Amino acid sequence: MSSNQFNVASPPTDAITALKFSPDPESTRIAVSSWDKNVYLYDLRDENGEVGEGKLLQKFEHRAPVLDLCFGQNENEVFTAGLDWDVRKIDLNTSTQTVLSTHDQPVRHVVYSPEHNIVISSSWDSTLHVHRLDDGPDSEPVPATVPLPSKPFAISLTPTKLVVGMASRAFNIYDLKALALLTAQSDSTSTNGTRVEVEPWQRRESSLKFMTRAVACMPDDLGYAMSSIEGRVAVEWFDPSPESQARKYAFKCHRQTDEAEDTDIVYPVNALAFHPVHGTFASGGGDGVVALWDGITKRRIRLYPKYSSSIAAIGFSGNGKYMAIGVSPGFENGEEDLEGMAEGAVQVFVRKLSETEAKGKGPK
Amino acid sequence: MGKKKHGPTLEELLSRPWCYYCERDFDDLKILTSHQKAKHFRCEPCGRRLNTAGGLSVHMSQVHKEQLTEIDNALPNRSSVDVEIFGMEGIPEDVLQAHNQRVATNFYAAEAERQAATGNPPAGSTGSGRPSKRPKMESKEEIKKRLAEHRAKRQAAASGATPEANSPAANSVGADQSSATTPATVSTFPLPSRSTPSSLVASPVHAFSYPQPYGGFAASAPPYPQSASPVYQGYSPASMQATPGTPVFPPSGYAGYSGYPPQYPGQPTYGAAPPQFTHPGNGTTPPNLAYPPSFIPSQSTTPQPNGYSTPPGLPQRPSFAAPAAPAAPELNTQPAQQTQAVQQNQPVQQNQQAQQLHEGQPGKATATEADGKAPVPEKAKKRKIRLVYPEQELSPEEKRAMLPKYAYVRPADH
Repeated sequence: MSSNQFNVASPPTDAITALKFSPDPESTRIAVSSWDKNVYLYDLRDENGEVGEGKLLQKFEHRAPVLDLCFGQNENEVFTAGLDWDVRKIDLNTSTQTVLSTHDQPVRHVVYSPEHNIVISSSWDSTLHVHRLDDGPDSEPVPATVPLPSKPFAISLTPTKLVVGMASRAFNIYDLKALALLTAQSDSTSTNGTRVEVEPWQRRESSLKFMTRAVACMPDDLGYAMSSIEGRVAVEWFDPSPESQARKYAFKCHRQTDEAEDTDIVYPVNALAFHPVHGTFASGGGDGVVALWDGITKRRIRLYPKYSSSIAAIGFSGNGKYMAIGVSPGFENGEEDLEGMAEGAVQVFVRKLSETEAKGKGPK
Repeated sequence: MGKKKHGPTLEELLSRPWCYYCERDFDDLKILTSHQKAKHFRCEPCGRRLNTAGGLSVHMSQVHKEQLTEIDNALPNRSSVDVEIFGMEGIPEDVLQAHNQRVATNFYAAEAERQAATGNPPAGSTGSGRPSKRPKMESKEEIKKRLAEHRAKRQAAASGATPEANSPAANSVGADQSSATTPATVSTFPLPSRSTPSSLVASPVHAFSYPQPYGGFAASAPPYPQSASPVYQGYSPASMQATPGTPVFPPSGYAGYSGYPPQYPGQPTYGAAPPQFTHPGNGTTPPNLAYPPSFIPSQSTTPQPNGYSTPPGLPQRPSFAAPAAPAAPELNTQPAQQTQAVQQNQPVQQNQQAQQLHEGQPGKATATEADGKAPVPEKAKKRKIRLVYPEQELSPEEKRAMLPKYAYVRPADH
């Protein structure tokens, strides 16, 4: 059981905010951002390209805690979202950091669309910043600001869509092409960060009653999964037709039963990630449990043994052969947990997935 | 009342459900099955609890592709997967026989040991046997005589006798008093209860010349033998722990005082003659609270002056003295005795117990914990829900960002 899982050496020293594999199928690089103001870059390969237990390649210090990151065009480019309101680009080869734009509040998420070569960041100032990187390496890309109706809590994108989950259970789904075009046009008219009202392709209300926690889009571009703080995951489809909408569903997970108190302890579902090959997805909860689900057949594929503390982030490698899990004491029981952050409480586990481990099962 | 003296009978022991895998026994079948699910039929990788070894085996092979070879936490010779056990079902006949045999052997051994240690007759004959009858038969004539003797002594002693001379005398008066007014109460203090540790501790007092009534009385003083007996059986910490869930602390009006159970059970029997006494006596909580540990010395050392003079600090005395004036001396010595007898082992237990109750009753969680989950409430159809992260508009990251240690002030240039 444990032989196909190992924990990466020198993990972050404070809670993990995000963990991403490079989407490059050949790459085994993992980038992890943390409340300790650093971005950690790990690689499972050693000097000879042999995949092993992985090691820390580099650490990139920021001014403030880093709330999210994503890989860019290749495994040598990373974008980060910081509590210092900045969206940054890190060139991993030269270790240079470039500020792409600055929000009016901490930046919560950042995503990169290779299809349109844009970086989209979302911030608690209720805006998206769309950064076009096409302008060439020399010119500073000018961000366009897209106002949102509410504070964004989670974003995810597919080759064609951007899903933004916000406060007040609001969801906006943008067509990426339209978003890229509109922001590009507005760019030319102004020099410094214009506001562009972009009508979303779809507006939705969350199908879950509680605060949205995570969103992840299906790799086949057909829909997305979202989770709430109330131990529940919903699976929805983009297609607005009634038939497709009828397929959406939600299920409970990441709960524990306290027999003595006769209560269900309900944990937030902090992390969602789709397997790039099989199209199944993993959920990680505040209970320290990682589960693999088949969203199509509505079945649970696997439930991994409980980790020592809350699951902060989950990522699949580009080729789908590895799953990385960021474990750190969460916000589950209020601030007191943060004070007692024990040595070794924050860990990054990497699980080597067998051929069929994340593969969906046939329908019942 | 005073039925169970030395813990469970053999039948009770034999009828207790027990676990095939580890030979532990349990209060009821439900606990046994949950024990087995938790200890023996739990899937190690995923923590799932299965009902039987077969179920676990199937689960392991299907879900984890692993073969179940032996049962966890089982005794060496019981770890086989082939025996299908559920609760008490499926235990092979020979194992069952062996278990019963062993329980019986242990039971008799323990009994013999106890008899050897206490010099008591076997458990069966104690309850209604010879010794318990004696105080009754004796009481009428002898006690009156003794009372007379004692009164004479008392008066003689009033001038300044030693406390030792006093205490037995006072005791006898006490015994006399209670038996005279309520003969029935005497029968509730069977002599064998002397063999209980509490009264053994009190042996210095015991050694006096009025063993039966006094013994009976001593028994009435510490609460365990009577109302508490079903619970206190073994006097072991374990059985002490069992108390919170049991009827020792009656559901009547005493809930508030249940923190001081040892006094309470003792008092009603004692105050049987004037029934209204018990309530005022118990009603004054602070003295009750204070008196087991702190009042002991003052009382036991000065029984005599208190006996006839003004009421001591004890609130019980005035209230008791009101209904029956002659009872005053006895009342006075009673707590002294009680505390003396109990002095050594009771306060500790008492405190433990009080603590347990204080923590346990409001919290309930600790109570159930201590009981080994004995009073499991009936499962409600709909469980309560406790959200680990209850905020609705504030994400965990925002909350965390508010912590001082993450505070970040942007440089003014932006």
